[in-house]
Amino acid sequence: MTAECAKTQPADKLKLTVIAGTNKEGKDFMPIDFRQVTKTYDDGTTAVQKFSLHIPSHTATVLLGSSGCGKTTLLRMVNRMVDPTSGSVLIDDEDVARAAPVALRRRIGYVMQNAGLLPHRQVIDNIATVPRLNGVSRSAAKRRAYELMEIVGLDYTLALKYPGQLSGGQQQRVGVARALAADPNILLMDEPFGAVDPLVRIELQRELKRIQTELRKTIIFVTHDVDEALTLGDQIVVLKKGAEVAQVGTPQEIVENPADQFVAQFLGLDSQRRTLSARPRAGGGWFISDARGKPLGVVDQAPIDRAPETG
Amino acid sequence: MGWILNNSSRILELTLDHLLLSAPAIVATFILALPLALVANAVRPLREVVISGTGLLYAIPSLPLFIVLPLILGTGVRDPLNVVAALTLFGLALMVRSAADALQSVPQEVRLSSTALGHSRLGRFFTVDLPLAGPGLLAGLRVVSVSTISLVSVSAVLGVRSLGSLFTDGFERNIVPSIVAGILCTAVLALVLDLLLVAAGRLLMPWAHRGGRA
Amino acid sequence: MNHLLDALELLGDAESWQGSGGFGARAVEHLWYTAVAVAASALIALPLGLYVGHTGKGRYPAVLGSGVVRALPTLGVITLAALFVGIGLTAPMIAFIVLAVPSIIAGAYSGVESVSQVTVDAARAQGMTPWQVLFKVEIPLGLPLILGGLRLATLQVVATGTLAAYVGAGGLGRQLFLGLRTQDYPLMLAASVLVILLAIALDAVFSLSQRAARLRTGP
Repeated sequence: MTAECAKTQPADKLKLTVIAGTNKEGKDFMPIDFRQVTKTYDDGTTAVQKFSLHIPSHTATVLLGSSGCGKTTLLRMVNRMVDPTSGSVLIDDEDVARAAPVALRRRIGYVMQNAGLLPHRQVIDNIATVPRLNGVSRSAAKRRAYELMEIVGLDYTLALKYPGQLSGGQQQRVGVARALAADPNILLMDEPFGAVDPLVRIELQRELKRIQTELRKTIIFVTHDVDEALTLGDQIVVLKKGAEVAQVGTPQEIVENPADQFVAQFLGLDSQRRTLSARPRAGGGWFISDARGKPLGVVDQAPIDRAPETG
Repeated sequence: MGWILNNSSRILELTLDHLLLSAPAIVATFILALPLALVANAVRPLREVVISGTGLLYAIPSLPLFIVLPLILGTGVRDPLNVVAALTLFGLALMVRSAADALQSVPQEVRLSSTALGHSRLGRFFTVDLPLAGPGLLAGLRVVSVSTISLVSVSAVLGVRSLGSLFTDGFERNIVPSIVAGILCTAVLALVLDLLLVAAGRLLMPWAHRGGRA
Repeated sequence: MNHLLDALELLGDAESWQGSGGFGARAVEHLWYTAVAVAASALIALPLGLYVGHTGKGRYPAVLGSGVVRALPTLGVITLAALFVGIGLTAPMIAFIVLAVPSIIAGAYSGVESVSQVTVDAARAQGMTPWQVLFKVEIPLGLPLILGGLRLATLQVVATGTLAAYVGAGGLGRQLFLGLRTQDYPLMLAASVLVILLAIALDAVFSLSQRAARLRTGP
């Protein structure tokens, strides 16, 4: 399962990709801003209420929350799969509401749970989807698709297979490759690794991390998995119901200093789930490590009482 | 309207004739489809053969079948038995697949647990499989009932008496109300039978209260 | 069994196939009616069915329509039409289309609906326009069921086509009714066998094309 993945990447090709993604002035590109967005669906449920957030460019921001907290709705506002009822989403200071949805989506990568590949098209054609939609010639799109297979660690022999013939992990790699094919500056990822088994999931997270250090996209990643968030996020946004922001911070900040009981509980800092142990630290405070001894951070106050996790 | 009132007794008679041809075919379809479906499900390699085989019957146009079938049955073309047999074959074309699917949809855990409770094979079939497959069987039977009732009429061109006679009479003697009455009565008959089936379903399967259509 | 032998002899006789009233011409006529009726119905029904499937609008009338048509006695429709437009081909054509349209609509919308919502959603998220979603995703993936609707419609038209002769049109029903009127059972039988063979052949063609379409939707 894992053997087919790891492949080293020729550095020159990657550099090219990054340059292609920079805009003309050569300045940083594609920060995303949510300004007071609210989404009320036709049936009256409010998925998102007055949500504001700045997402810096070139970083991975993880929206972390349990299902139904509105995180997917937020994600889908960026490429206008969902339009906010009020408020606005800005990319590079431009309101997305003013962009044509189809053109917007073609310059934003989107990866979803279950990959959502076209089952009647071979892997290579799936990856080439967006370049083809953008009018790139068939052969150029294919060449680009092969490049991407290498970037995401897919063996070339899989190019002519159909999605149904791939494992779940391979399908997700194809999904990532497809999202990157048109070299978008922004990558939206909606629980992309939610449906694969844990080992493959860790492998995929590692690969994404590697790809990100090379390509430096602006990524919004939605998950309910705390470990995934801590692994992938440069910035983590912990969300309550209605996409209410419980805390924004780096993984370290959030683990070190959860804003409230909700965050602490959600991260499992107060339960057996993460089985943390604390040792007094030489310079004061406590040194925190997990069950396997991996250091996770430092807290200044005593760990909160442990209560059994519910649901 | 006047024509319909003046001929109401004849229309009623023909409706009865219609029912006497279609009801036996519907019942026979149900009774024959169950064992066929069971065989199809029990013997894997046979499944495709039985289901596609009966499905192929559906491709056969009705009027030609009414004419060819007597060769096998040794009856006359106008014999009610011939008509009922042909209608049953069409019914099977629709019913065997629904019955096989319905019986297969009974969850394996339920079957195993009822066997564990000590049901015999036959006992299990009648107390577990049949009731649980009930909604699917009912949906299939409703389709069969509607299509059988509409198919009967075709036999009228051969001279078999049914509501279809209202079409041939109406056409030959240029009476529009006769044809309209025939269409309406066929629809009403189909509707009444459908409602009866739904009611029977509610009575027999109070747990499955959503009369789903196939 | 003698009747069957007589019928086979009739079918084996080259003479009964020749001429404008022979089996050959009538079979071609029957096929021609079927092709025209199915094509006309598809022209009406495919856009409607695809619209219903793609947008989810009008699903209820579509379901109701196919239910009602299943209950409609074909002979009633064809004779009623004949009384209004006179004998000839128009009345049967009206009946064919009335009977075929709902099956094609049902096949088209269930085909489009059968495509996984995730796949459609992903296609939209990649930046496909609604038309691209329809033509690149929904139609190719729903093709087996769309063809299923056309298959059902074709079989209905072939069957009803036999009745066309009853109201003065042509087709293989001509010989069938001729046999009926002249008490010539072998002739009826021969015509019936031909119609059945025609139907089974068309069914087989559709069955094969559906299989091919299913293969194309990915293993």
